[in-house]
Amino acid sequence: MASRVSPQPETHTIAAGVAPLRAGQGHSFLLRRLHSLSGIVPVGAFLVEHILVSNATAMNGPEAYANQVKFLASLPMVLFLEAFGIWLPILFHALYGFYIWYRGDGNTISYPWQGNWMYTLQRWTGLIAFAYIGWHVWHLRFAGIDLHAHPGASFGKVQSEFAVAWQLAFYVVGLLAASWHFAYGIWLFCAKWGITVGERARQRFLVVCMVIFFTISAVGLLSIRSFLTTPRQPADASAGELHAKPAPPTAPVDKK
Amino acid sequence: MADKTIQLKIKRQPNPEVAAYWEDFELPWRPNMNVISVLMELAMLAKTKDGKPTTPITYDSNCLEEVCGSCAMLINGKAHMACSALIDDLEQPIKLEPLSKFPIVRDLAVDRKVLFENLKRVKAWIPIDGTYDLGPGPRQSEAQQNEEYPYSRCISCTCCMEVCPQFNEDTGFVGAATIAQVLLFNLNPTGQMQAPERLRALMGDGGIHECGYAQNCVEICPKDIPLTKAIATVGRAVVGQAVKDLFTT
Ligand code: SF4
Ligand code: SF4
Ligand code: FES
Repeated sequence: MASRVSPQPETHTIAAGVAPLRAGQGHSFLLRRLHSLSGIVPVGAFLVEHILVSNATAMNGPEAYANQVKFLASLPMVLFLEAFGIWLPILFHALYGFYIWYRGDGNTISYPWQGNWMYTLQRWTGLIAFAYIGWHVWHLRFAGIDLHAHPGASFGKVQSEFAVAWQLAFYVVGLLAASWHFAYGIWLFCAKWGITVGERARQRFLVVCMVIFFTISAVGLLSIRSFLTTPRQPADASAGELHAKPAPPTAPVDKK
Repeated sequence: MADKTIQLKIKRQPNPEVAAYWEDFELPWRPNMNVISVLMELAMLAKTKDGKPTTPITYDSNCLEEVCGSCAMLINGKAHMACSALIDDLEQPIKLEPLSKFPIVRDLAVDRKVLFENLKRVKAWIPIDGTYDLGPGPRQSEAQQNEEYPYSRCISCTCCMEVCPQFNEDTGFVGAATIAQVLLFNLNPTGQMQAPERLRALMGDGGIHECGYAQNCVEICPKDIPLTKAIATVGRAVVGQAVKDLFTT
């Protein structure tokens, strides 16, 4: 649209509109890559441990569950591990994730394609999982009886959580949101870091990630079921004492 | 049959300072029309549907065969090349709007300079000028040519940027087209010499890391360029370059 007759100095800059690439400027590359990585380790790795290892012990009964809690509580510098291995990474991943969400412009209405829906879903599941994790940590780890001091009360405390219908629902929704966010997050990680480069490779890997989602969800749901089908266990300090000594067997012991 | 018509709603904006408004148009149907040929008819007609005289509609176009990349606009709400948008495939009234993420010039014409600025910042070219004859470049295998060819088909239409949820004023994201061009020139045996510079440019703010992998770009691209493959390939190279730089600079 510039006139060819009057050679004006090139003063017309883009008044509004998207700025061009700022080559060589800023730290967003590092932060974005850290965000992406933190979702896999330590946050994702912790999720796998929490659901597939620790929670799954509930399926072996209150005893096994209490022992797992006792073992975790006995790890050296447990508070330090929790803070720097779990809480701070989750906080960074979530807060920086909200910042990314805020700056993007979802457009699934105009362009309702699968990848675009996943993009939006990844943001919502992240929000739900974060809200759930915040409530879950406060409710189970900090409010009420301290399970690090009384691991024996763990099973009963979780059962009392599930006794309230909306809390049980929140656990289920939180579990599904977190495992979806993690499973699709692995897929995104591999695409963005150039591990799955080809189209076919990405499609195959999506199947793997869906298997991961179903595995984590299924184990989580089965663990929840164990809490619901086992008779109510004590959830006070006395239960902690009970399990501190070799506990009385709950099932008939195999004598041979 | 003779009364068959084409109905359009077109967003008008005489200049960037004034507010946009819609105008309705109607013209007789003819076979094999596309959006550009309709806009040409409307320029002759110069009347809205209710007979009010109006100015011809401003738009960009050139080749009329989907190779120049100038005629991208929102057709029924989606980015599309106007010259390859066939009237008979479109739901009526056909809604025409300018691309939403680029500064408006007038009516359907927008300023897509940012793409060319981005291509400059990643040095999307092969420097062959010098004070002496550099001679012919290395021979390329057919397999290598086949790998490069799809990326060379980019027509700079900016559709991939328009539909990208991450391409906006907040992020200042570079967009898929520029990333694909980095791959094209890094694959070329002569262009390879500047590969680290191109990769480093993409580490800057608004670089490749802003991609959220929504994959809209690859869905919309009129030239079927494997953009998500380009982003993954370049993504790996950028991380590799970053790690290398960490230890060698
Ligand atoms: S994959 Fe999605 S976020 Fe990335 S450039 Fe393409 S449209 Fe944008
Ligand atoms: S990559 Fe495709 S959509 Fe993007 S500018 Fe090039 S041709 Fe257009
Ligand atoms: S006029 Fe050239 S691409 Fe449409």
